[in-house]
Amino acid sequence: MNILILRWLRWLALAFVLCTLTALLSGCILPPGGGYGYDDGGGYGAAYYEPFGFDYGGWGHGYQVAPFRGGDHRSTGGGGHASGRAYRSTPASHSMPSIPSRSRSGGSRSH
Amino acid sequence: MAGIKFTSNFVGNIEKQGITFDDKTGDIPISRSFKHKGNNPFLRQVLFAILLGVACAMPVMAAQIQLPAIVEPASQEHHVGKLIFVELVTPDIAVAKKFYAGLFGWTFRDIQAGGTKYAEAFLDGRPVAGLIHKDVPASEHRQPAWLSFFAVGDVDAVKKVALQKGAKMLFEPHTIPDRGREAVFADPQGAVFAVLASSNGDPPDVLAAPGEWIWISLITSDPETNAAFYQTLFDYEVFELPASEGAQHLLLASDNYARASVNTLPANRPNAHPHWLNYVRVEDTVKMTAKVVALGGRVLVEPRIDRHGGKVAVVADPFGAPFGLLEWPDTESKEVPK
Repeated sequence: MNILILRWLRWLALAFVLCTLTALLSGCILPPGGGYGYDDGGGYGAAYYEPFGFDYGGWGHGYQVAPFRGGDHRSTGGGGHASGRAYRSTPASHSMPSIPSRSRSGGSRSH
Repeated sequence: MAGIKFTSNFVGNIEKQGITFDDKTGDIPISRSFKHKGNNPFLRQVLFAILLGVACAMPVMAAQIQLPAIVEPASQEHHVGKLIFVELVTPDIAVAKKFYAGLFGWTFRDIQAGGTKYAEAFLDGRPVAGLIHKDVPASEHRQPAWLSFFAVGDVDAVKKVALQKGAKMLFEPHTIPDRGREAVFADPQGAVFAVLASSNGDPPDVLAAPGEWIWISLITSDPETNAAFYQTLFDYEVFELPASEGAQHLLLASDNYARASVNTLPANRPNAHPHWLNYVRVEDTVKMTAKVVALGGRVLVEPRIDRHGGKVAVVADPFGAPFGLLEWPDTESKEVPK
């Protein structure tokens, strides 16, 4: 009888391994998220907690984050490809865009 | 041990397969537990195990999360680099729903899949966000956050470029039925973001209504390098804006629309880490910050005039997830920053 149980256990162990492999192959068991609090198995992988560090304040005079409204408000000296920046600067001939202004029901598009 | 009691039917069926039972004990004798009738018992075991394995895995596979599309009805629009969706992870989805419903008038539809509690948020019937329940990781110093999803055409191609440019993969590209294909990264400075190739197309380029997401800014330790990184990913145009001394302010644009700003992390905040901050359009920032506090949230940056002539503020929900409030008046009248 013990041998029979051992046989069943062997089958179950093999089944468990196959089950895990199947789940892994189907992408259901997700890789760990590198310390960002991502799910490391089973759940929705985009759910995460960030490390503490949303330390606000220090937004002194002149610290601005919003887009411009309306037309071109390009600062002097900006633009061109010879600025030595890490990014490709937009040519000075391009006017600075704003966010979409068209309403959902229609209307004009302005940049 | 009580042993396994087999019914006569079960025994009969088993014996038909060539396995015989001891008449006295009901055991299968070791020496004759499997009588060969032309079949290899090992193969039978393997086949049985495979069937059992697949049967075990089926519920897990069936529980894969399925999320609704971000655009209903489907649009034919595609706007690479545009913020098209946001998701909040929170330890108490009921409290979060109450907070955001009270603040912006969002309504919610609960979705349960794959062991995950998910609530889709709507404003006037349009999807505006997703809320995901997840317990705060024990013994870890973490806080909830809004995750920003940027539109892309090919998630796997973006992954390749992002990793080449120093990003870290946090969540491998995967397809979510109805939603699309998405992936999550940390950029080279550590700010977390997601990309999504939406199955139903991208939301149209229209002015956000009050209560909808209107803007996003990256607050980072190295605006130039970050701007270059996202330019490589999304083919942004980069514009330089006037900024206070020692700081940089860049504007990222695509399709001739401003999509995001990049700002230097204030120097006097050594514990702050680079991150994306999303802004909801409001009609009155001062009134809304008071409402945030009344609903159990906090004000992180008091309302202040910004360059567009309206006020901005940064607040946090009851669990500390930060987001911005941004006035965008319908009229052209504007105040001048002091």
